[in-house]
Amino acid sequence: MNKFFIGAMLTAAGLVAASGAVAQDAQTIRIGAPLPITGPLAPEAVKQQRGYDLWAEMANKAGGINVGGKRMKVEIVYADYQSNTPRAVQTAEKLITQDKVQFLFGPYGSGAAKAASSVSEKYKVPMIAATASSSQVYDQGYKYLFGTFTPNDTLTEPIAELVKTMAPGVTRVAILARNDLFPLAIAQEMEKSAAKRNIKVVFFEKYAIGTLDHASALSQIKAQSPHWIFATGYTNDLVLMRKQMADLGLKGQVLTMIAAPAYQEFIDAVGKQSDNISSASWWHPAVRYKGKDIFGSTENFVKLFRAKYKSDPDYVEASGAVSGALFQMAIERAGSLDGTKVRDELAKTNEETFWGPVRFGPTGQINSLEPPVFQIQAGKPIIVHPKAIAQGALRLGVK
Amino acid sequence: MKFHIIAAATLFALLAAVPSFLGDAYSLRIGTTMLMYGILAMSWNFIGGMAGYPSFATAAFFGLGAYAGAVLQKLGLPMIASWMAAGLFAFVFAGILGMALLRLRGHYFAIASLVVAEVIREAVNSATDLTGGGMGLNLPVPQMGSIEAQAAYFFNAMLLISAATFIALFVTSRSKLGFGLRCIQQNEAAADMIGINATLYKTAAFMLSAVFVGVAGAAYASWVHYIEPPDVFDTLYSVKPIVMVLLGGVGSVFGPILGAAAYLALEELVWRNYLSIHTGVLGLLIVLLVLFLPRGLLSLAPRRWGMAP
Amino acid sequence: MLWLQVLANGLMLGGLYACIAAGFSLVWGVLNVINILHGSLIVLGGYLAYFGYTLWGIHPFASIPLIGALFFVLGYLVQASVINRMIAAPVLLTLTLTFGLDLMLNNAMLVAFKADFRRLTLEPPLGTLELGELSLPVDRMLAMVLAIALTGLLYLVLSRSRIGRAIVAVRMDRWAAALMGVNVNRIYAITFGLGALMAGASGPLLAMIFPISPLTSSAYLGKAFVVCVLGGLGSVPAVIVGGIVLGVVESLASVWFGSEHAITVSFVLLIGFLIFKPTGLLGKKGFE
Repeated sequence: MNKFFIGAMLTAAGLVAASGAVAQDAQTIRIGAPLPITGPLAPEAVKQQRGYDLWAEMANKAGGINVGGKRMKVEIVYADYQSNTPRAVQTAEKLITQDKVQFLFGPYGSGAAKAASSVSEKYKVPMIAATASSSQVYDQGYKYLFGTFTPNDTLTEPIAELVKTMAPGVTRVAILARNDLFPLAIAQEMEKSAAKRNIKVVFFEKYAIGTLDHASALSQIKAQSPHWIFATGYTNDLVLMRKQMADLGLKGQVLTMIAAPAYQEFIDAVGKQSDNISSASWWHPAVRYKGKDIFGSTENFVKLFRAKYKSDPDYVEASGAVSGALFQMAIERAGSLDGTKVRDELAKTNEETFWGPVRFGPTGQINSLEPPVFQIQAGKPIIVHPKAIAQGALRLGVK
Repeated sequence: MKFHIIAAATLFALLAAVPSFLGDAYSLRIGTTMLMYGILAMSWNFIGGMAGYPSFATAAFFGLGAYAGAVLQKLGLPMIASWMAAGLFAFVFAGILGMALLRLRGHYFAIASLVVAEVIREAVNSATDLTGGGMGLNLPVPQMGSIEAQAAYFFNAMLLISAATFIALFVTSRSKLGFGLRCIQQNEAAADMIGINATLYKTAAFMLSAVFVGVAGAAYASWVHYIEPPDVFDTLYSVKPIVMVLLGGVGSVFGPILGAAAYLALEELVWRNYLSIHTGVLGLLIVLLVLFLPRGLLSLAPRRWGMAP
Repeated sequence: MLWLQVLANGLMLGGLYACIAAGFSLVWGVLNVINILHGSLIVLGGYLAYFGYTLWGIHPFASIPLIGALFFVLGYLVQASVINRMIAAPVLLTLTLTFGLDLMLNNAMLVAFKADFRRLTLEPPLGTLELGELSLPVDRMLAMVLAIALTGLLYLVLSRSRIGRAIVAVRMDRWAAALMGVNVNRIYAITFGLGALMAGASGPLLAMIFPISPLTSSAYLGKAFVVCVLGGLGSVPAVIVGGIVLGVVESLASVWFGSEHAITVSFVLLIGFLIFKPTGLLGKKGFE
């Protein structure tokens, strides 16, 4: 037989296989969750997943979500996009068209969330991005995208203010940023926050994704004798950087790293060198909020999380859980699963939750949080700002 | 020869009918991706299959085309015009690059072409003001009515581009250029001696391997409307087309399409079922292919079909 | 003095780069095969050292000979069974073959070890040597010394031992070597084994300094490429020169152009050399 036609048939077979529809249960609420289950971002996917699963378990244990009088269970449909952004888009579309999900949890990070949001907008499926903070993600004028992280400047402003107040002698800052959507965006915000307070930016450089050696950049920073070193990147980058800083004898008054110090893995990997590293994040298990959501309060959420996973939740895990809780509240208020109705209810959200007060701005990004600033002291993260929930004071000096 | 033309025409007619039969957006998305890789594979055939120069520059041309198209669109140029301009840009770029690289052979040429993509990617990454750098570039979302209509539009666009590539490949292989390239592949020095201007021919092949890839890149950018350097300059855009052509049959006209279809169908099945080991399976496929079927699927066809190169 | 520190950083890295590239250069020069597996082999060596240290307390320096021996056997077997079938095939096929093998190995490591970065931190840490304004991390210095030592050992094997002479003979002219009674296929397998040995042996050294993850394998491969082109194929001194030059250039480029461009600069240098001096600084004319 002509191999040529075999090729055509393989093509057809591929198309048919791909379009195989999935039989679904009309009685469950299906929320799609495209995640980088494999690939470089896999460790982050696990966190979001834990948050979603905990929420789904809680919701179902309570009998399901109340949709206009009827109780429906919730099912989370996971799909792997292999840490590849174009695949994230494809996966989002597959979840909607093939797996017939009614709602979407956003993929990990700002880049993938931005890319995938075009799909959710197209199909009018509400999507909550649990880990997208850069305002660039929300600048496309979309109506169906919501995010639980406040914009990046809400991380840099409080810490800049704190440092200025507590350590007026700090007048020189060096910034080293990973050349990636979120880490770079945050670094640029820091630059602005510093400039506002007359703190001179003596060094601002980007490092390529996948850099294994920061010695040169750090040597240059050392030569500038900054008081404050501000570094952005993900866990692997920052662990390496901290070690190399110690190797090169780079010291300062303040060392701020975003976004790894919030994770226990970072503290474990860096050990004693984590002392006095400051950071900011959108949430911390030590905050105390009471909420109308299914968890009821921060303490309760932390307790439930510890019981299920035997460790304290970090902000990514909490963000995943609150995304689910927000969907739940919006669905219950809307009394239906209709995408547009739920979307409208989400937009109107004005609730207290274990995550904090939640109100979404016109772009869909949350604008009601005051992210805590914390510092690692003696191997434990201690909140130093805002005053209402502070557990300690900012300490200066990093060796 | 007539058989080939009829076969090709049938194939493209069938493909053109796809949007009417399988109109849902997801299937069309897969189909569009298949056609896109078909373009990449066919284009590679010019330089890799016919001239015998193992080029890994496809990703460079693809990424360049994507960014050229995207930037032009942002500056206000209409979509189709940007695609054409991107193709032209890639065409000219390949000409200039070829002057430097085509003097190299074998391994050295392969490495150089591979590295070019890396360098260009970093350049694009750094030009943050023009290209958005690491933060990516947003394109204006095309307003085309329903989702299905949009999906069908891009499917048809890729179909047209792939038809153009196919025709170019077909015509070239039957022309003096194609003959010259095959001579060069056999023995470049001898080809020079019998009067074939090897430099000219090689450069032409290299440029042809870039132009359609550039257009496809620009179309891809418009299709997904958000691009970032690690995505469009991904080395896999250089490697997969090569594997596809190897799978189908190097140097032949139908080989690339056959290979692309077979490979992508396989990939889709594997992706759905073997999440964590899909790259391993791909690797295994490549190894088996190289060891046991180095001349591709088409070499299995009976000789009288005349399909093999 | 910033420049002195930068230079020191570059030299320390350079020694490591030379070690990474030595095995790669050998295989390329003798078998005319570009071994894409090389980067992943280094990472695998790193993992073995990491587990050896964290699970059984075997110091990375001690695991070097063990891992080296293991990888020699592995490399020999892989070459004899798989790669040798394609030894006379066009560049495209051999390249694609090793690429496919690398995909398999890399995926296997990803599944087995996950993508998380591991750090091999020595207890107690080796600390830093402060020479005036220079900060020289002791682990890097030691790694560099060992790397150069390993490479030197390879040189000795190639120049003094019978097998080594046979390898060089095959590199120069395989037909003539065969006529002289050398079993070319066996030499190919041994050479590949040696290449794998060098890769595996550099693993522990690199593991002490850099994070280990399957995702880093292409970075190491890239370095190996550049070193081979810069220094030239065909001799160990060439590899050492290439390594040191790359290390220093990268360090300097980091300061002049910014750290995100350091890798790009090395690639631009690569292309430049390929176009204008493909034989490298010290190389004899390699295979095309």
